[in-house]
Amino acid sequence: MAIRQALLMVGAALVGWQAATAAAAPATYTIDPSHTKVYWETRHFGTSTHRGRFDSVEGHIQFDRDSGRGEVSISIATASVSSGVPALDTVLRGSSFLASDAHPSAYFVSHGLRVEGGHAQELRGEFTLRGISRPLSLQATNFACRQDAQLQREVCGGDFEAEILRSDYGSTFGLPFVGDKVRLLIAVEGIRQ
Amino acid sequence: MNKPTLLTLALLAAVASSARAEGTTYQIDPTHTFVTFEASHFNTSTLRGRFDKKDGSVVIDRQAKSGKAEITIDATSIDTGVGPLDGHLKSKDFFNAAESPSVKFVGDQFSFDGDKVAAVSGQLTMLGKTLPVTLKANRFNCYNNPLLKREVCGGDFETTIARSQWGMNYGLNFGLPDNIRLLIQVEAVKQ
Repeated sequence: MAIRQALLMVGAALVGWQAATAAAAPATYTIDPSHTKVYWETRHFGTSTHRGRFDSVEGHIQFDRDSGRGEVSISIATASVSSGVPALDTVLRGSSFLASDAHPSAYFVSHGLRVEGGHAQELRGEFTLRGISRPLSLQATNFACRQDAQLQREVCGGDFEAEILRSDYGSTFGLPFVGDKVRLLIAVEGIRQ
Repeated sequence: MNKPTLLTLALLAAVASSARAEGTTYQIDPTHTFVTFEASHFNTSTLRGRFDKKDGSVVIDRQAKSGKAEITIDATSIDTGVGPLDGHLKSKDFFNAAESPSVKFVGDQFSFDGDKVAAVSGQLTMLGKTLPVTLKANRFNCYNNPLLKREVCGGDFETTIARSQWGMNYGLNFGLPDNIRLLIQVEAVKQ
């Protein structure tokens, strides 16, 4: 009896432990490439704002709804830069700007995703561009999770932004006529796996 | 003798004033002129798209504080970076680009803050409908471009339109937004 009781207790404890682990395990969200883009903005001759984007972005979000904590990692194919001016895109891929041959990817990695009351807080991480890694903090301007009617899955995502100095990453060509400050706007949506 | 002189003076004055009213013409630089739209995607992330083909000119008269802008956008050149979405946006659900390929803005009321353009009001024609819009300047500047060796004027303008006013209603019933923010980068080269 005593052994049987003990086994039952162990069994119950194991079941309980498994349930607790399942509840606490962060869900993984794979990036939806059709709703994930990195947009950039920089000033041209102090006059107008030139905009472009990177079309090829991959990555994942891990997010634990209970604790509101998670991590984000994205990889940007630098050759996928698109400004709407093909000749400019060629220049941007060159060694003066993105150096896409030597550095085909740029990365943003953060273990500091924190969501409170449906609002994502500052996202601290590291941004790597042209092989140079520096700390970068993204500010969330939107964050939400929804049950997507078409995908029949939960989708979480939002808008994040940050400002970098491209000279910090070794790109100084065209200064000051082409701005040093580059505003990054990251629209990201992840589909729950 | 007096009469022809006066008439000549009057004619000269008329010619001078009409010349002044014509102002300076600037041709749109298509590599630094883009209309970017922003649409919220189910209140989660913000989708941006742009139009890659556009044409137009701007006349500015700084003395008279007036101007005229005409910009035509090719709706078939819509570019979000997502091919299937571009196809849907060009379809009858949105721009109906096959039948209504051009979107046109004619701005004829310029307001100035000092010698800088502060806002441009005019008419936006899309899907065969013409309605008033006002573009607010977030910044405006003129500079001498060392590559072109010409004066270039331009800046950043923005407005928010309700697309349903032009009859573009797709998705309003399942949560796609009516209000679309337009961010307009413009630079134009002195002719």
